Amino acid sequence: MKVLMSLLPSLPALPIPRALLSHYRRHPLQLLALATMIVLATMLWTGVNHLTSQARASLDQSEQAVAERQQVVRDDGQALMVEDFVSLRLVGVCVMPWLEVTPASGNRIIGIDPLAAHCFGAGAARGGDQPLDGKPFVDMSTAASAGEAHLYLLTPDSTQDSDLPAAYHLKTFATGPETGELGDSFLLNLEALGVLVLLITALLLRSVYLLGLAQRRDSFALLHRFGVSPGQVQRWLVLEIIALALICVVPGVGLGRWLAAGLGGGFGQALDGLFDIPLYAGQGQGWITPVLVMLTVVVIACLGDLLLLRFRERLSLSVPNQGRLATALFLAGLVMAWLAPSLPWVFVAVALVFAGAAWLTPTAVTGFANWRAGQSKAPLARWRYRELAVLARRLTLPLVALQFALAMVLAIQALVTTFEDTFDRWLGQRLEAAYYIEVPAGADSRKAVDWLTGHQASNPGMQWHQVIRGSTRMADKAAASRQQVDVYALAPISTLITGWGLLEAEDHPWETLAGNKGVMINEQLARRQTLGAGDTLQLVLDGQTRDMRILGVYPDYGRPVGEVLMNAEALPENFIARSESFSITPGELGITSVTDGLKRLWGVETLSMRDNSTIRELATGVFDQTFALTRAMTVLTLILAASALLMMGWVFFTTRAWYFRLLVVWGMSQRQVAGQLLRLALALTGGIALLALPLGIWLTWVLVHRINPLAFGWSLPMAVYPTFWLELGALSLAIGVSIAALMRRQLGKPSVARVSASALTGGER
Amino acid sequence: MTESLLAVRGLSKHFVSGNETVPVIEKLTFTLGQGQSLALVGRSGSGKSTLLNLLCGLESPDAGTIVMQGQVFEAGSAATREKAAAWADLRRQQIGVVFQEANLMPALTLLENVRFRAQLAGRDPANSEDWLTRLDIGELAQRYPDQVSGGQRQRAALAMVFSMEPALILADEPTGSLDRQTAAEVTQVLFDLQARYRCGLILATHDAELAAGCQQLLDLGHMSAV
Ligand SMILES: Nc1ncnc2c1ncn2[C@@H]1O[C@H](COP(=O)(O)OP(=O)(O)OP(=O)(O)O)[C@@H](O)[C@H]1O
Ligand SMILES: [Mg+2]
Repeated sequence: MKVLMSLLPSLPALPIPRALLSHYRRHPLQLLALATMIVLATMLWTGVNHLTSQARASLDQSEQAVAERQQVVRDDGQALMVEDFVSLRLVGVCVMPWLEVTPASGNRIIGIDPLAAHCFGAGAARGGDQPLDGKPFVDMSTAASAGEAHLYLLTPDSTQDSDLPAAYHLKTFATGPETGELGDSFLLNLEALGVLVLLITALLLRSVYLLGLAQRRDSFALLHRFGVSPGQVQRWLVLEIIALALICVVPGVGLGRWLAAGLGGGFGQALDGLFDIPLYAGQGQGWITPVLVMLTVVVIACLGDLLLLRFRERLSLSVPNQGRLATALFLAGLVMAWLAPSLPWVFVAVALVFAGAAWLTPTAVTGFANWRAGQSKAPLARWRYRELAVLARRLTLPLVALQFALAMVLAIQALVTTFEDTFDRWLGQRLEAAYYIEVPAGADSRKAVDWLTGHQASNPGMQWHQVIRGSTRMADKAAASRQQVDVYALAPISTLITGWGLLEAEDHPWETLAGNKGVMINEQLARRQTLGAGDTLQLVLDGQTRDMRILGVYPDYGRPVGEVLMNAEALPENFIARSESFSITPGELGITSVTDGLKRLWGVETLSMRDNSTIRELATGVFDQTFALTRAMTVLTLILAASALLMMGWVFFTTRAWYFRLLVVWGMSQRQVAGQLLRLALALTGGIALLALPLGIWLTWVLVHRINPLAFGWSLPMAVYPTFWLELGALSLAIGVSIAALMRRQLGKPSVARVSASALTGGER
Repeated sequence: MTESLLAVRGLSKHFVSGNETVPVIEKLTFTLGQGQSLALVGRSGSGKSTLLNLLCGLESPDAGTIVMQGQVFEAGSAATREKAAAWADLRRQQIGVVFQEANLMPALTLLENVRFRAQLAGRDPANSEDWLTRLDIGELAQRYPDQVSGGQRQRAALAMVFSMEPALILADEPTGSLDRQTAAEVTQVLFDLQARYRCGLILATHDAELAAGCQQLLDLGHMSAV
C-alpha cells in the first residue's frame, strides 16, 4: 500500500493511469481497504490450505506409523538375531531391521537402519534420506546401547511366503490400527472446506473492489467526457488490479503460513509428547501454488465479469434480478445433489445451489422487506422495511459472503462434532481392551484361555477375550456369486464388546451371541447384501453351508470388507485362523503379571503386544488437534466476513446518513433514530443468519449423506446441533449491533453532509 | 399587531475550526409574527443555514434567547435534554424544514413520503393525496423520488411540509438547484400556500427576486459586515 502510494508521483506522465490513481491519492483509505482485503483473504485461504495439507501429511504419517506391515518370523517362534538378518539378505529377501528398545525409564526407542531400508522403496522407507536425529527413531547402534532390545525384520508387502527360506514365514507387523477411510473422509471434507473458504474470500474481495469502483464512478465519467474510451479504462483497471494483487498476495501467503504454523506449532508439540513417532508434518505446501491460486482468484473476483458485461453496466452495482434463473439453478442443484450418481456431479450440484443461493438471498430479503413494507400500516415500520430492502440490495455481496460463512461454520461444526463422536466410538471398537497380545506361532491358545479364566476368578477387574480372525465364504442364494467375508470370532463374549452401539439389533443380542445362537454382521455387509437383524446368513464353514441368524448390525466406520462377528465356539476345529490374539484389560493383576504368565505358558521370550491406550491417546491427539484447527479456521473466515460486512455497512451508511438525519429534522430524537438503526441492522444480520441455517443444514447433509457415501461407500450419522445454531444466531445479532453502533457514531456528528451525488437525483432505493 | 410566532433576542453562534474561533451569528435580534414571511439573505458563508438550524434546535446557540410559540429557549441554561425534547416536538408538529435537496426518503414513494411526514406530525394521512394534487403532482404519487424531476421533488417536499400543518416553515434555498422557470413556479406555490394557511416562513435565499416576495428582509451578510 505504502509502496503503491510512493509510486504515484513518479509515474510517467500517462494521463489515464494518473487520473485513475489520483482517486486513490485523495482516498488512500479505499486503497488500503482493498489491499487489506486481498492480504487477509490470501492469508485465510493459505492458512486453511496449509493446515489441510499438514493435516493430510500428519494423518498419512500417523497411519503409516501404525499401519499393518509384514515381518519375517522364525517358524520355531524364537527371537530373531543378527544372523537371521544376514541369511535373509543373502538369499535376496528385502528386510529392514527394526529394533525396539524399552529403556528402564522413558519412551520406547526404535532403531532402524536407513541403508537397509532402501529396498522398501520411497514410500515405506521413511527416514531413508533424512538424517536420523529425531528422538524416537535413532540409528541401530544408538538404540542397541540403550537397553534390552527386541529385533523385528520388516519386509515389503510384495514379499511372498515362497520367497523366504525354510524355517521362516511371514506375519503381520501391526503397531496399531489403521485410521483408514475415516481419516481420508475427514480430509476430503476439509478440502471441501478449503474450496468454500476460497469462494467466500472471492466474494468479499469482489464486494470491496466493486465498492471502490462505484466510488470512482465520477472519475470514470470525467475520463469518458475527456474522450477516453471505456476499453482503455478497462485495460488500465486490469493492470491496476494485477499490480495490486502482486503486491498484496505474497505477504498474504506469508501471513497465512505464519498463521498455520502458529496454530500448528502447538499441535506438533502436543503430538511429540504423546507418542514415540514424529507425527506432525510441519511442512505444508510451498509458495508457488497459493500465490498463483490467489492471483487468479483476485483477478477473477474483481474482473471476472469484465468480458461478459459492458463497462457501464458493470459500474452499476446491482445484481441482475433474474430471480427465475436463480431459482432454476437453485432447484436444479438441489435435485442434482440428491440424485447425483458420482462425486463430480455432487460438487457441480453444490456449486449450483450456492450460486442460486447467492442470487436468491438478496432477492428474497428485498422481496420480503418490500412485502412487509406493503403490509405495515405504521409509517415508520414501512420506512424501515424499505430501507432494509435498500440495504440488502446494496450490501448483497458481503451479505452473501456472511451467509456462506455462517452456513459453512454450521456445516463444519456439525461435521467435526460428528467425526469426533464417530472417531471415539470407532476407537472404542478397534481398541476395546487396554492390551492386545498376539498368540505366537505354534503356541497353544487353549492354555492361555484356561490360565486367563483361572486368573479372572480372583481378579474381578480383569476383562479379556480371545480373538480369532480369518475368512470364509458366503453361500449366496445365487450360487454364482460367492462372497468372501472376514470372520471375527470371539470367546468369551465379554463386557469389552457388549457396550458397542448397534445400528439395528434383535432383543438381547449379546446374550444370544454368547449362547452361540447367531451372529452379527458389519454395516458394510448389511448394505451390500441388504441384510438386517432377524435375517438369515448362509456361511460356508468346514465345507458345509450353515444358516446363521443375524442378531444385529454393528457400525464399521469405513471398513471396506464385509465381516461376520461370531462366537468362537461356532468355528469348526479345522478353521484356518489368519491371526489369533487376546484382548486383555488386566485390572489389578497388572500387565506384567499377565505377560510373564503367558510367556512362561507358551515358552517364549517375547510377546507381540500392543498398548492400546497409547495408540488411543495418539490417534485422539492427532484428530483433536485437526478438529480444533478446522474450527479455528472456519471461525476466522466468519470473522473476516463479519468485518467485511461491518466495513461495507459503514461505507454504505456514509451515503445514507443524511436520510437518518432527516428523521431527526422531522422531530425524532437521536435515541429513537438510533433505535431504528439498530432494528434495521438486526433485521439484516438476523435475516441472513436465518437464511444461512437451511443452507448450512443442507451442506451438512450433502457432506455426510452424499459426498461421503459416494467417496467411501459408507455414511456418518447426521446430527444437528441447535445450541450451536443459537450461538451463531447470537453472533449474527452481535454483528448487527456493531454495525448499528458504528452507524450511530456517524449519526452523532453535528453536520451530516448530503454527500452522495445520488442525492441530486433523489437518492438510491 | 399580529401575535408573535417567533422572537429572537441577542442570538450568537460561533464555530471553532482548528484553533480559530469563527463568529457566525452575533447578537441577532428580530421577531416574526404569525403568518409572516422573512427572507434571509447574505453572501455564502454568512450564516443563513446556521441560523435556520438554530431556529429549529438542530444547533444550540452560544448566547441569546429564542421564544417559539411561547416556549422560551435560553442559551446555556441547564436541562439540555428537556430542551432537545421540546425542540424535537416542535420540529415534529410545528416547524417544517425544506432543504435545497434530499428532502424525501428515497425508498418511499412520493405519497408514502407525505403520509410518513403527516403521520409523524400526528395529522390525518388521508389528506396526503390531496396535498400532492394541490401541488400539481397528484399523478406522480406512486413514483419514487429518483423517478421524478428536481422541481417535482421540491413540490413533493412542500406537500410534506404543508401536510403537517406547520406554524413555521424554514426553507433553506428550496429552489437553489432548480432552473429559473421551475424555481419561479415552485416559489409561487410556496407563497400561495403559505398565505392561504397562514404559517410563518423564513426563507434563506441568494435570489433577490425571491427575497422580494417576502414581507421582511434580514441581511446576515450586511450584519456581519458591520
Ligand atoms: N459544523 C460547523 N463547524 C464549523 N464551521 C461551520 C459549521 N457549520 C458552518 N460552519 C461555518 O459557519 C459559517 C456559516 O455557514 P452557513 O452554512 O450557515 O452559511 P450559509 O450562509 O448558509 O452559506 P451558503 O449560502 O453557502 O449556504 C461558514 O463559514 C461555515 O464554514
Ligand atoms: Mg446554506
